[in-house]
Amino acid sequence: MKQAIALTVNGDVYEVLISPNQTLLEVLRDKLGLTGTKKGCDLGACGACSVLLDGEAYLSCLMLAVDAVGKEIVTIEGLSEGGDLHPIQKSFVELGGLQCGFCTPGIVMTAKAILDEEPQPTEESVKKKMAGNLCRCTGYKKVIESVMSASGRMGGKQ
Amino acid sequence: MRLPKFDYRQPESIQEACAILLDQPDAKVLAGGTDLLVNMKHRVETPSMIVSLKGLRDLDYVRKANGMVRIGALTRLKKVYNDPFVAKKLPALAAAASSVGSYHHQTMGTLGGNLCQQTRCKYFNQSKWWRSARPLCFKAGGDPCHVAKKDQVCYSTYCGDVAPALLVLNAEVVLSGREGSKQVPLESIFSGVGKTPLNLEPGQILTEIVIPEQSADGFSTYKKIANRGSIDFPIVGAAVWTSASTGESRIALTAVDRKPVRTRQLEDFLKGLELNEETIQGVDGLVAKETQLMMSSIDSISYKRKLMGQLVKSALSEAMGGR
Ligand SMILES: Cc1cc2nc3c(=O)[nH]c(=O)nc-3n(C[C@H](O)[C@H](O)[C@H](O)COP(=O)(O)OP(=O)(O)OC[C@H]3O[C@@H](n4cnc5c(N)ncnc54)[C@H](O)[C@@H]3O)c2cc1C
Ligand code: SF4
Ligand code: FES
Ligand code: FES
Repeated sequence: MKQAIALTVNGDVYEVLISPNQTLLEVLRDKLGLTGTKKGCDLGACGACSVLLDGEAYLSCLMLAVDAVGKEIVTIEGLSEGGDLHPIQKSFVELGGLQCGFCTPGIVMTAKAILDEEPQPTEESVKKKMAGNLCRCTGYKKVIESVMSASGRMGGKQ
Repeated sequence: MRLPKFDYRQPESIQEACAILLDQPDAKVLAGGTDLLVNMKHRVETPSMIVSLKGLRDLDYVRKANGMVRIGALTRLKKVYNDPFVAKKLPALAAAASSVGSYHHQTMGTLGGNLCQQTRCKYFNQSKWWRSARPLCFKAGGDPCHVAKKDQVCYSTYCGDVAPALLVLNAEVVLSGREGSKQVPLESIFSGVGKTPLNLEPGQILTEIVIPEQSADGFSTYKKIANRGSIDFPIVGAAVWTSASTGESRIALTAVDRKPVRTRQLEDFLKGLELNEETIQGVDGLVAKETQLMMSSIDSISYKRKLMGQLVKSALSEAMGGR
């Protein structure tokens, strides 16, 4: 049975009609048109669908949309302010932390969660926490460099 | 991959959750959802109703009281291993919780959900399309078991990382039902039956994990071998606890049988012995006898047997240094 729910995404409240078996990923992409968040494996094994839920890195393909009611959801579309890229995005662009870009929204959102939790992480810590975000192109070296550089750019602050 | 259709409830109290479950025997509880939703997408679990526990706020804590460490079943793994007492005094638990899947699974997955996760098998954890090449296996609703080549049996393997760590820490769990709650040894909730791996009664949910603080006095560790260090289930996992003052050892394994296994014969063998290079030489042989390995994963039995021995030995060597 369809039900109406309100989701808070990137600071805006959206009223949507959903079925309980729809994941947050499906609702973000298909109902709200926020296609920045990617569907990779759809089975919790690649990280492409990572979004922030109350500030933490969640896999939106393993989250029921109804369970996200009352949470602050942030997607890649909500990261830049006005026309300005977020410092994490700037680092990825400048250091070539992406190639095809498919994994990038998930990686950037995970990086945001990591840096909010630990503003000056060690490289080891970034590697461990990023391990669930698969990338077929970059070989990860530049991804890690971009996150470390973003940490510096953000002055070790949030 | 679409989820199958189901009715959804989000109860506000444990009692309400238990009542719904009693009413709907086919309903399934959802905690973090990182195990259940994958199985549902694969259509190996198709409950008619999901009872989401996300509305129960009072099951998220790590507390110490009266010589016990109490952890709410809905506490997420990340919070468990970041707890200062757990990190410092219960290293086996911290190591096991932080080895589950990736950072995302540790952020979303709960301790209760980790313990209660489904058993695994290379013929079961597959899409409906993949599985359609063979008749439905017994666990998925048919008759044959493709591992045992017999009907009506299931040798799927319990692969949870945290159970062995909690077993060696002598943990108990609180099970709540409509009639109230009871505390039982963690070991007793695992049935050893592949098709129905948990001994929970209808309407019962696991609400709390209780660890005696005495388990903090002693050495403990958890070691895991997986295909990728980053994200995979264990090929084999081993937890060890030893006490210098009593000369006791407790050892438990995961991914080696239909349930997590405490290796009591090995523990008896080691009792009172001084741990040294010589005494731990023979543990490989002993440890293998207490498990029932089957070809339910892509790794061969002989490989798993070797890993098992090596992991236990390496944990015991660490214990020798740690004592
Ligand atoms: C890519 C990937 C990798 C993974 N790697 C690992 C790994 O390395 N190690 C590992 O152990 N797990 C792994 N997992 C599985 C899973 O993420 C974890 O086990 C997690 O801790 C499960 O917790 P949850 O709260 O998400 O469980 P859920 O999916 O919510 O529940 C799991 C099962 O337990 C039942 N249940 C949940 N809570 C309760 C309760 N309180 N009382 C009674 N029944 C309950 C549910 O009905 C369900 O059957 C992995 C999963 C994925 C997708
Ligand atoms: S062990 Fe047999 S019955 Fe059990 S999941 Fe595997 S194939 Fe199915
Ligand atoms: S799409 Fe969610 S983890 Fe791959
Ligand atoms: S940039 Fe192509 S998958 Fe990562």
